Amino acid sequence: MSVAAQSELRLARTRSAQWAPALAAVCALVLVAATAEIVLDGAVGHSALIPKSPQIAGWLSGIGERLGFRVFLIAILAFSAGYAGLWALGRTVSKRWAIALIAVLHAIVFVGPILLSTDVFSYIAYARMGVEHGINPYLHGPIAIPHDPVYHYVGQDWKLVATAYGPLYTLLSYPFAPLGVEGALWGMKVLAMLASAGTLALVWRCARLREINPVGAILLVGANPLYVIYCLGGAHNDLVMLALMMAAVSLTFARRDAPAAAAVVAGALVKATVAALLPFMILARRSRAQIFGALAALVLGLLIGLLAFGVDGINVIAALNRDAAFVSSDSFPTEIAHLVGKPGVFPIDHDLLKAGLVVVGLHLMWRTWRGYDWVAASGWALLAISVTSSWLLAWYILWPLPLAVISRDRRLLVATLAVQALFIVHQLAPLFAPVS
Amino acid sequence: MSADATPLKRGWQRLPAQLRPRDADRSKIGQPGSGRLWRVETVVLLLVGLLLAIATVNDVVLATHTNHRLVVDLRTWRHYTGHNYKNVSAEQDIRKYTTTDVVCGNTTPGPPKGRIQLCLQVTGPTVKGLRAARGGWYLPPKADNLHRYRYGCFGPPKQQGVCPR
Repeated sequence: MSVAAQSELRLARTRSAQWAPALAAVCALVLVAATAEIVLDGAVGHSALIPKSPQIAGWLSGIGERLGFRVFLIAILAFSAGYAGLWALGRTVSKRWAIALIAVLHAIVFVGPILLSTDVFSYIAYARMGVEHGINPYLHGPIAIPHDPVYHYVGQDWKLVATAYGPLYTLLSYPFAPLGVEGALWGMKVLAMLASAGTLALVWRCARLREINPVGAILLVGANPLYVIYCLGGAHNDLVMLALMMAAVSLTFARRDAPAAAAVVAGALVKATVAALLPFMILARRSRAQIFGALAALVLGLLIGLLAFGVDGINVIAALNRDAAFVSSDSFPTEIAHLVGKPGVFPIDHDLLKAGLVVVGLHLMWRTWRGYDWVAASGWALLAISVTSSWLLAWYILWPLPLAVISRDRRLLVATLAVQALFIVHQLAPLFAPVS
Repeated sequence: MSADATPLKRGWQRLPAQLRPRDADRSKIGQPGSGRLWRVETVVLLLVGLLLAIATVNDVVLATHTNHRLVVDLRTWRHYTGHNYKNVSAEQDIRKYTTTDVVCGNTTPGPPKGRIQLCLQVTGPTVKGLRAARGGWYLPPKADNLHRYRYGCFGPPKQQGVCPR
């Protein structure tokens, strides 16, 4: 390259470096504006996107207009574009600005209504069943408490369904039960915020330990559209699971093998999926302490679950099998079934998907045994679980994200974000043909 | 074998070299075979990604067509009945996945399903913003479109035995 061409290239780089902070600021503003639009319009209520809920955000209801599909989807697309911009410009964002942006997004969602899902009311219902009514939530669905004030808000599909969450999470939710529906709702929101803050702090720590840009890592997780709008917006317990998952990763990096394995087990006693990390962690570290730590935590957790809820409280396999049979229109297996001209997923497809998942798991275990990054292998496993699940919800495809941003295999991050992008694209049909 | 190797590690030394665990991944640094594995994985991932992308776009197109059809169905019901009601419901054929839809709405003003309902079987292509209503039936107030509630069938549904009485 000639000297003139080199100096021209240097000049262009300097110019783009000058513009980068301004572009990043614009992207950040887009994220804040999109979140505020969804929350303020959602606070008005009477929207198919906002579940029936106590008026916790009533003081915001005079500002926006009723949230329709079109506005919601445009806001999500704008959020995603801003997020993609921040991904590209991540290196130019300072630590202070990144934390401030994430804090603002969290604060906006925190003061707003519950978005897009009735799950949080199921959590409260299960807690109230156990504490206020003395009914085992592992044996009965919320239909057992039809006169409780929370029953009115539980999703229609879940009224007959007993809890599928782990005993640790159910016990964690019990202190919220006596607070009433509104108090419990705020309690769940605070829990989601704390879990998110913990997850992001641990992502930061792990990224630094792996010499990955921690600012980019927390931006990719904490400013992710599915994370902010769907997961935080719905105060989902997946955030508690993610915090324990990242605690396990962080402890493994610090070579504290027994507590790390115990943290995975604790996460699995919140939501079973995170147990997928354990084989990769053990294969990578090959330490006896991990196995003892996992076994000790498992025995303790199961004992507590058994004492609190009986055998049904620890029968995770039955709960997983029941959930695995559910089918949602957003799942990739359903989409592939439509592509090949089938109306949906059949029982044989469930078996094929499980077989595929086993093959992927075995391949990843072999790769980890042969030195592949166990964090990446765990992320791939979680991504495979969500992609092959016939019951896919937005927050399921967040599971691999904190691992993807700290993994040594960049393909995992690209794949995770691509799957999330496809999920958002799949929501767009009402944008092209709104039903009157 | 080093003197300080743990019993666990000494056990692994008995395995053939190909099966022994490694401490670091060497799949990307030009090791014969392993580099190829990384490329094969990447190709498989790209193919899976392509399949998911095609399936997603196909589903969005299908949903868009269905939404368009439902809009036309509602317009057709309003056109045939002369009632410009907002709360009219359209149901798709979820048994045989044909494009024959059933659209139901009140015969007189009232809350959704609050009056005697008229259901029309809408079928065929969209012509001038409408589809053809081949026939239909009535439902009593507050009843869902279930076989046992249907009465007064007319058109092809009458011959097909859609109404129990």
